[in-house]
Amino acid sequence: MAHRDRDYGTPPRDSSKTVSLEIDGFKVSVPEGTSVMRAAASIGIEIPRLCATDSLDPFGSCRLCVVQIEGGRGYPASCTTPVGEGMKVCTQNDKLGQIRRGVMELYISDHPLDCLTCSANGNCELQDMAGAVGLRDVRYGYEGENHLGASKDESNPYFTFEPSKCIVCSRCVRACEEVQGTFALTLDGRGFDSKVSPGQMETFMESECVSCGACVQACPTATLMEKSVIDRGQPEHSVVTTCAYCGVGCSFKAEMKGAELVRMVPNKDGHANHGHSCVKGRFAFGYATHPDRITKPMIRASINDPWREVTWEEAIAYAASEFKRIQNEYGHYAVGGITSSRCTNEETYLVQKLVRAAFGNNNVDTCARVCHSPTGYGLKRTFGESSGTQTFDSVMKADVIVVIGANPTDGHPVFGSMMKKRLRQGAKLIVIDPRAIDLVKSPHVAADFHLQLRPGTNVALINALAHVIVTEGLTDEAFIQQRCDVASFNKWRDFVRQERNSPEATANVTGVAAESVRAAARLFATGGNGAIYYGLGVTEHSQGSTTVIGIANLAMATGNVGREGVGVNPLRGQNNVQGSCDMGSFPHEFPGYRHVSDFETRAMFEQEWGVTLEGEPGLRIPNMFAAALDGSFRGLYVEGEDIAQSDPDTQHVLAALKAMECVVVQDLFLNETAKFAHVFLPGSSFLEKNGTFTNAERRISPVRQVMPPKAGYEDWEITQMLSNALGYPMNYRHPREIMAEISRLTPTFKGVSYEKIDALGSVQWPCDDATPEGTPIMHSEQFVRGKGLFMPTEYVPTPERTSSRYPLILTTGRILSQYNVGAQTRRTENSRWHEEDRLEIHPHDAELRGLKDGDWVGIKSRSGDTVLRARVSERVQPGVVYTTFHFPESGANVITTDNSDWATNCPEYKVTAVQVTPVSAPSDWQREYRAFSEEQLALLEKAGAGAG
Amino acid sequence: MGAAVKPGPGQMGETVLDLQRLLTMANQIGDFFAPYPPERRAEGIRNHLRTYWDPRMRQDLLDYIASGGDGLVPQVLEGARLLVETEHDKKGYYGPPKA
Repeated sequence: MAHRDRDYGTPPRDSSKTVSLEIDGFKVSVPEGTSVMRAAASIGIEIPRLCATDSLDPFGSCRLCVVQIEGGRGYPASCTTPVGEGMKVCTQNDKLGQIRRGVMELYISDHPLDCLTCSANGNCELQDMAGAVGLRDVRYGYEGENHLGASKDESNPYFTFEPSKCIVCSRCVRACEEVQGTFALTLDGRGFDSKVSPGQMETFMESECVSCGACVQACPTATLMEKSVIDRGQPEHSVVTTCAYCGVGCSFKAEMKGAELVRMVPNKDGHANHGHSCVKGRFAFGYATHPDRITKPMIRASINDPWREVTWEEAIAYAASEFKRIQNEYGHYAVGGITSSRCTNEETYLVQKLVRAAFGNNNVDTCARVCHSPTGYGLKRTFGESSGTQTFDSVMKADVIVVIGANPTDGHPVFGSMMKKRLRQGAKLIVIDPRAIDLVKSPHVAADFHLQLRPGTNVALINALAHVIVTEGLTDEAFIQQRCDVASFNKWRDFVRQERNSPEATANVTGVAAESVRAAARLFATGGNGAIYYGLGVTEHSQGSTTVIGIANLAMATGNVGREGVGVNPLRGQNNVQGSCDMGSFPHEFPGYRHVSDFETRAMFEQEWGVTLEGEPGLRIPNMFAAALDGSFRGLYVEGEDIAQSDPDTQHVLAALKAMECVVVQDLFLNETAKFAHVFLPGSSFLEKNGTFTNAERRISPVRQVMPPKAGYEDWEITQMLSNALGYPMNYRHPREIMAEISRLTPTFKGVSYEKIDALGSVQWPCDDATPEGTPIMHSEQFVRGKGLFMPTEYVPTPERTSSRYPLILTTGRILSQYNVGAQTRRTENSRWHEEDRLEIHPHDAELRGLKDGDWVGIKSRSGDTVLRARVSERVQPGVVYTTFHFPESGANVITTDNSDWATNCPEYKVTAVQVTPVSAPSDWQREYRAFSEEQLALLEKAGAGAG
Repeated sequence: MGAAVKPGPGQMGETVLDLQRLLTMANQIGDFFAPYPPERRAEGIRNHLRTYWDPRMRQDLLDYIASGGDGLVPQVLEGARLLVETEHDKKGYYGPPKA
């Protein structure tokens, strides 16, 4: 059986004061505030318990954990009794045993005795406690009133709720409140009538439940149980690995039966998630074994030809010969590669190595181009390193939390829960977002300020906040003088204090009342530890990099860098955005963010790799598309990225793909890009390979193989085969050897190794001789660049303007249950929560157009048009519409334009001028898309690979 | 990489990217550096072009400027001039802009 994690019964207490006591005659010293139960557990004495678990505050309801304390009265619950100096505790004697057996008798008298056929058999705390207290008979029969006939709720696709097995310990209710912060569960009724209820006596699916799994995790019986365990039985072993979804990078135990994954259980020792999870990581792993998976390599000469299944040797040889042919005919700059934040560090490292060493150019890019490339630019310039500054845990010491252009409860839900916990403890919250995200108002959380700005005006608002801080004397002069480049500060100060940057002058642009901006600025600057969290609502703009710089300026000006509770925290969209950038996936830099023109760095790579390397930057993704349309770029190797769906201005992207002569896609499914491919190399899911992911807090965590690759090879092996076929030898035997090379060549990874990751569980870079166990908080003594650099941030309006033809601004985002292009989550039951993308429109704008909730609407921009159903909602402000982009047929990127960030070409997904009108039929693009997709799936069927 | 190289557009006097796109990108860079003092402004633009732009894109921009440079903001012309002037003593990585 897979073993349960050690449970100390109550959470640890953080105190510098130690209390000494005796438990059953054994001396023990623990931090002040520790419970007697935990103190006992710390010396190996397990006091029986049912309602206590160390992920939740003690509750004291089950009465099983009673103890006797010398000189004390009665039998106190050890979970709610704190230790006292000199206390003498007895955890076991005849009287205590008698009390516990009596309590257990009552529990069991209202519990079905179906242990042998129960799904929790072998992993049931109630069963364990019956054994622990020595229960031998139950005097009360089933004749009296009981709950055994309570009906089962099977509405949730991933777990069942069987109230007949409930012991009303309230662990699920408390987990929903304390850990997840959703408050979806309640205890309804009192005494014997008490029962756990989702929402207002609704089913789980009808309730507010977000299916994070915290209640299932907390349940000591089979009342809340994963359907996969009910179907398959208890797992027999587990492997610690890292989630493949968002940038939180949660640690999980993949609980297995042989090579079959039974369930994913959040790892209590996970440094990013501390035993919590969300609906994606916890439950949405079924895509890995979905019948749509392609497991045979395929090739075809033209995208109009049927696919042909071939051997790995033939597929690799064909791809290599095509790349060579193209380079011979069009020059060696005519090919390139794109890697993905879904790939491991080792995989992205190999792809960029292949491009630089085997293709002989720097035409390599990664999907961070279209999400967080401005973060890399802005933070490198100002602080000296392209990364966030904090740990996730740091939020628990923040006093004022600023969330800009991010939606943590949907995009980064486990961190969102931690943030909500801190907010419930009293931290203040400033939300800067065009849309009312959940954090603005949700149970027991409300933003102190919601600066609901117009899309595209971030820089004007950040400048206005800075203006208030500077002109009202709220800067941290000591920090600036000691830690920052003072000349740059003086220039920035002179810039932001100009009247044109004041809240009053910018209100017309941002749409935010000046007094709110002033009050928010004062709160941030004077409210204690100020921490800024931001997402793609900052970066995906024509001034994305400028806003990142503006955020860094704000943090430095107020002294909010370099310690816990503060900092600049980019919330990365995908699990390995940070890692893929670290690994040199951008065309201008080697691993560790060192420019390709840097002689010394290049010489080091040339020596290790045995080739001469280009010293000039290569093409970025959008540049590759443009060059393809102009004919100078003809061949592309894409690993793990779906550019045809995720990149803006779809028609432009598709035209570019069609113009290429050889597109090689390495992926799990025939994604949208693969429909334009000539070679398909079947990749491996995160369950099928070894490697590492680096999350948004620079934490390098292990990815461990729990089942063999369905197509025979891990992704790094496929890249290696392609490189060898291209004539550049790679001979790694395991990803640990790739990491060893990375650490040899990258100073910030110098101390990183698989051995260290295994020993520590994870490690945050920089990790070198000075910081052998990593660096949780960056810039603590000095900035990586020495002195923090302030940079002026002139507001430049986006060229994308509303007009009488396009009077609304469309902005985009994502939702909890789906993940980016949806290739994974759409192939799971998560679609039950979100089966289509919809267009949110304000009631005022809907009424003007005669639209009702659920109506089909045409959305037309200067780039294209598509059709979605409307959701009338006051979450958006008048003049702004919003949609998610998880379904390819939605065509969200048919509408978005080719505007991009000035510094990095990160697309401006967040601002598109559109018109919305009632329609009754799909758009022309959607019709063409469906026809083309059907045609491509038919061509796949002919390969015999199964289109699903 | 072999002798028979078909000339790509960048080698035929056409641009690697759509020219309008290239000019828009250049002007955006110019807009960012507009508030900088003149010397730093030109240096910032030069460094940005050299650090991030594929050399063919840089050459396309210089060719366009040589043919008149209509539509480019003045600071881009300054930055491009510095790009040409320092070509002979081009060093490695220029690093971030200074104050």
